[in-house]
Amino acid sequence: MVSLLEMPETASQLTMNEPAPVPSAPANRASIEIDNLDFAYGNHEVLHKINLAIPPRAVTAFIGPSGCGKTTLLRCLNRMNDLIDGARITSGAIRIDGVDINEPGLDVVDLRRRVGMVFQKSNPFPKSIYDNVAYGLRIAGVTKRTLIDEAVEKSLRSAALWDEVKDRLHVSGYGLSGGQQQRLCIARALAVEPEIVLMDEPCSALDPIATAKVEELIRQLKQQYTIVIVTHNMQQAGRCSDRTAFFYLGNLIEVDDTVKIFSNPAQRQTEEYITGRFG
Amino acid sequence: MTEPRHILATFDEALTSLRNNVLMMSSLTERSLDRAICGLLQRDDEACAIAIADDEEIDQLEKQVDHDGIDLLLRFQPVASDLRRVVSAMKLSSNLERMADQATNIARRARKLNQHPPLPEADLIRPMYLHAMSMFKDAIDAYVRSDVAQARSVVPRDEGLDDMNRMAGRRLTERMAEDPAQLRGYLNLIFVSRCLERVGDHATNMAEDAVYAVAAEDIRHQHFAAAS
Repeated sequence: MVSLLEMPETASQLTMNEPAPVPSAPANRASIEIDNLDFAYGNHEVLHKINLAIPPRAVTAFIGPSGCGKTTLLRCLNRMNDLIDGARITSGAIRIDGVDINEPGLDVVDLRRRVGMVFQKSNPFPKSIYDNVAYGLRIAGVTKRTLIDEAVEKSLRSAALWDEVKDRLHVSGYGLSGGQQQRLCIARALAVEPEIVLMDEPCSALDPIATAKVEELIRQLKQQYTIVIVTHNMQQAGRCSDRTAFFYLGNLIEVDDTVKIFSNPAQRQTEEYITGRFG
Repeated sequence: MTEPRHILATFDEALTSLRNNVLMMSSLTERSLDRAICGLLQRDDEACAIAIADDEEIDQLEKQVDHDGIDLLLRFQPVASDLRRVVSAMKLSSNLERMADQATNIARRARKLNQHPPLPEADLIRPMYLHAMSMFKDAIDAYVRSDVAQARSVVPRDEGLDDMNRMAGRRLTERMAEDPAQLRGYLNLIFVSRCLERVGDHATNMAEDAVYAVAAEDIRHQHFAAAS
């Protein structure tokens, strides 16, 4: 899996093309609006007429069986699907704070700075803990050591990892446990000060204790960030999220407050899925 | 429409077992109440003794339902209608156990009454008993058949039982003044009337739990909410 900071569209390439910068979001806002979205891999449409409003500073969970399109939709939110041949939005739009993120000339690197991503499997770079977190800042052209030091500490603290690594910042990120590596990746995503954090099954490879730490971190991060999480773990969706969207066969079946979805969903398909009576 | 089976057959089995134990409690409780009232109205001490003895089995079933419910919550973490079913079963079981306690109380009062000459005022108890049992049976029937309308219909009937209890209390109090020699007997009948009024309260609780289990709607204490 490729990190958003490893995208082939480097800042320098995009500068040459003079892309339009993504307008900065007003304070306290980073809402996402998905409007009648169809998405296809080649001729195979995998998302059908998705309409979904994702509120700012809250956790929205995408749930549904494998292949229902939840990860595809998540990857649409920072145009990660641009990297896949034949993958394309066939109609509809995604707007972040009112701006269509697929409009021609939009600065994709800046979009991915604003919309960070954490993957299923932790993917630290073969670098020190410090350099992992500093990587995005350096790519963005920050060179002043004190600024980078501050950002590294702040990001590691935000990712609830600082106390565990502050005395070994210059050892390899690979030396951390799985849960610590995932929090390192979260710190790396936070270092470039995103407004939205996308998480694609961030705990699927973690043990229960590491999972609990990441979930607690998500709870804290939502005070500053808009978070969208894809998870197969419905208990996790119930614990972590404020809103839950259930997808099936590329359709958004239902979205509502998480408590409502897990106590009394409106749609029979949702009820059958969450109670294990599906298929 | 038949509900699809759970992917985990063990979950369906556990849920069915929980429900069966609740229904068993319901049958035993109904039988105990019948025997206690029979003991009172037909002056049958043996029926009273059986009603009192049966309480132990109902108590044990309540513990079993609690144990199985907690086990189910722990092992399967049910959500939505499954969660409501487990919670409702546990609440129903608690209400049934307390109803069975009322049967025991009635049977004990009946045994005391049976040691003295019959009181014609014992007939005040019969309509209350019929009213309370119709509420009880309808609440259980609504739970079994997931019939929200039937469950809702039980709730307002509790007021009728409350009125009957008040009227019986007034009449028996008057009789205590008129016939102080039978004061203890009238007092025992007041307690029996009060027990049946409590049976109606538990039936109401069970009907409310049945509505919650099926419709996810909390209809408890609505008269307080409306007043505030």
